[in-house]
Amino acid sequence: MNAVTGTRRLVWLYLRRDRVTGSFSVLFLVLLVVGVAKQYAGLLPTEQHRIDFAAQIRDNAALTAFTGQLYGDGLGNLTVWKIGDIAFTLVALMAVLNVVRHTRAEEESGRAELLGAGVIGRLAPMTASLIETGGLIVLSGALTALGLAVFRLDVAGAVMFGLALSAPGLVLAAVAAVAAQLSERARTAIAMAASVLGAGYMIRFLADGSGVLWLRWLSPNGWSHLAQPFGDNRWWVLLVPLAVTASLTILAYRLNAHRDLGTGVLPARLGSAEATPGLRSPLSLAWRGQRGQLLGWTAGLAALSTAGAGVAPGMRDLADRSGEQIQELFRRYAATPDATLSDTFVWMIAISVAGIALLYPLLTTLRLRGEEISGRAELLLSTTAGRTRWALSQLILAFAGSALILTVSGLAAGLGYGLASGDLAAQLPRILLAFLVMVPPVWCVGAVAMLAFGVAPKLATALAWVVFVLVNVFGEALGPILGINYWIANQVIPFHHIPKVITGGQFTATPLLILTALAVVLAAVGLTAFQRRDLT
Amino acid sequence: MSTTPILISGLVKTFGQTRALDHLDLTVSSGEVHGFLGPNGAGKSTTIRVLLGLIRADAGNVRLLDGDPWRDAAELHRRLAYVPGDVSLWPNLTGGEVIDLLGRLRGGNDPKRRAELLQRFELDPRKRSRTYSKGNRQKVALVAAFSSNVELLILDEPTSGLDPLMETVFQACIAEERQRGRTVLLSSHILSEVEALCDRVSIIRNGHAVESGSLADLRHLARTSVTAEITGPLPDLARLPGVHDVHVQGGRVRCQVDAEALSLVLEMLGHAGVRSMTSHPPTLEELFLRHYTTAQTGRHAAEARR
Repeated sequence: MNAVTGTRRLVWLYLRRDRVTGSFSVLFLVLLVVGVAKQYAGLLPTEQHRIDFAAQIRDNAALTAFTGQLYGDGLGNLTVWKIGDIAFTLVALMAVLNVVRHTRAEEESGRAELLGAGVIGRLAPMTASLIETGGLIVLSGALTALGLAVFRLDVAGAVMFGLALSAPGLVLAAVAAVAAQLSERARTAIAMAASVLGAGYMIRFLADGSGVLWLRWLSPNGWSHLAQPFGDNRWWVLLVPLAVTASLTILAYRLNAHRDLGTGVLPARLGSAEATPGLRSPLSLAWRGQRGQLLGWTAGLAALSTAGAGVAPGMRDLADRSGEQIQELFRRYAATPDATLSDTFVWMIAISVAGIALLYPLLTTLRLRGEEISGRAELLLSTTAGRTRWALSQLILAFAGSALILTVSGLAAGLGYGLASGDLAAQLPRILLAFLVMVPPVWCVGAVAMLAFGVAPKLATALAWVVFVLVNVFGEALGPILGINYWIANQVIPFHHIPKVITGGQFTATPLLILTALAVVLAAVGLTAFQRRDLT
Repeated sequence: MSTTPILISGLVKTFGQTRALDHLDLTVSSGEVHGFLGPNGAGKSTTIRVLLGLIRADAGNVRLLDGDPWRDAAELHRRLAYVPGDVSLWPNLTGGEVIDLLGRLRGGNDPKRRAELLQRFELDPRKRSRTYSKGNRQKVALVAAFSSNVELLILDEPTSGLDPLMETVFQACIAEERQRGRTVLLSSHILSEVEALCDRVSIIRNGHAVESGSLADLRHLARTSVTAEITGPLPDLARLPGVHDVHVQGGRVRCQVDAEALSLVLEMLGHAGVRSMTSHPPTLEELFLRHYTTAQTGRHAAEARR
């Protein structure tokens, strides 16, 4: 028996476990991209339409920071411009979650030990998870290329895009494999790999926002943009992610071969023999489990906000606002058409940060379900902790934590913008306010997780993820793909209903109070349902 | 303090199509160590989960420490400690921190007893919970329970991960708990453990209590096994009512005797002249198997008739 014996059987096992989430993820990615192509084909039927559209968006630094450069005015170029970077990020996220799920998470749960006792080589789980994840990624790329080719897009460009889509997935799969060797905990491994993904995204964002384009060579997402699918089709650029993937995979194997099952390369230290006096309630317990993660979230999003907002003051305003696309941009993201581009850009950053930050209350509330499944809830609820107190503690942490994340991000963004513009005193408060108005809608989405936990515990995790993805893509992408108008699709998104301060909008408390009240009602229904149901 | 900490009658709990508990009765009196016996899937853990207010009874009457386990859960839990069969702990807390947290969330814990128990169970409280083995996680929950100031202990197969040495420590701890006047409900399928520790036992099968009483009572209902070497002519024991399974081999006789027939058998053996004799009451294992094997054969017979 050698170190990779049993790999083939494990690949089948993983495919069996991923048959729902895996096929859903692949299909979702493919439809997202192909859907945009279809939508643009309908919106921009002639070449002239596309040339006009491209001219309007090409020199807009605010949009380019979010989307990356536009390398032509064909349907393919516009599709890549609109959805490319989102797809690169999503495929990388899928890779990270998938690899850690089959490697470190299995070790942490002890299931790996069960399998390892069978005819399974020591390196087989990692090999199998890389093969399976790589397979899903390449399949996503291939189906996307096929889908685009079916829409009569340039075949070479379609294939190039398929490859560019797979590249960040493969790189991050290898990053996740290394992270899974370093930490003993799946959650830490995911956080480490996700930080690499986030840093890569931020570098690419800054490069495109500030015009220092060579910076993109330092980012996995950047490599896929540099390959210029439907533009120059520079396939040789992808040798970089390929080489990086190969080196990281070798590193992961080295690390894996030299450690024991269940342990990490980073050593575990001894802790305290006694609890501090403060550890005496469900809330303090939740805080202990959560504080590191909250710190990471706050630091990461604050860094993203500073960097993003720091670019904004340098953006020259558009001389010509007559273009249809420019008008549409301001219509969507500014309260008045004559808001400055810099302010609109900061508002877009606030919305994007809030779009990511809403994962925090969702995941924090979902921990209740994790505690229930693991049996820890049973042990805790056999004490005086009390159901409502326990669930409420986690909810308080979810709400207070998301408020903290957005406040610190707002301060960081205000600092970045203020220092770059030289007018800190005036800019900091108004930019902080732009981030603070995001708090009630984030709460509202977070409360959905509590509702799901109380009413449909077995579906809670799936529902929370669906809500997260929907809030982020429904208005912008998925709704229009399904043929629902942007403005109608957005009505279900809480972020649509807040006052657009800093872009000329008046601050009004009413919508914020309504959203807060809605959050409270959703959470209360969830809590009441949880009080009445059996622990399962 | 309550005189009957646990009082269950006619408890029913169904999950979808399956009826996990079917009119279960269980009474645990104050100060006793009560063995709760049954194979996997008999309904022991479900009963305990109802007692802890984690799931709701469909029908029947359940009283815990003179309160309603569902409605008054948090208040009642101040007075009890629970050890699950499969202990899962917060991975980032150390064992010591878990013990303190659980103690504080019960009626408080006794630091002297905590230190003593840590030593006896040979547990390092500084290690993070995720590095503990199954046995060590169980020790954490046991130390937390034994060092808490409570009147009732509910233990659900608490020794399934312990080695024989630790099993001995556990048994000593239970004996001490009994001396302090605490009530213990000990769910188990390790019969020797129950036999060594329990004042009374309840045997449960398919969600229904089939037998309940002190071990002496239960033994009384069952047969004593008698083996004797006889010097004189063999008496014809087989024809006596209450004597079963008579085996004769040379001058040796072996048989099973009902309690009522014991004196008569001894008298007859005495007349015949006894060189040596052993007799032992039925083990709990024999009692237990009798319930399950007769039920099994009964069921088979019923199926065969169909």
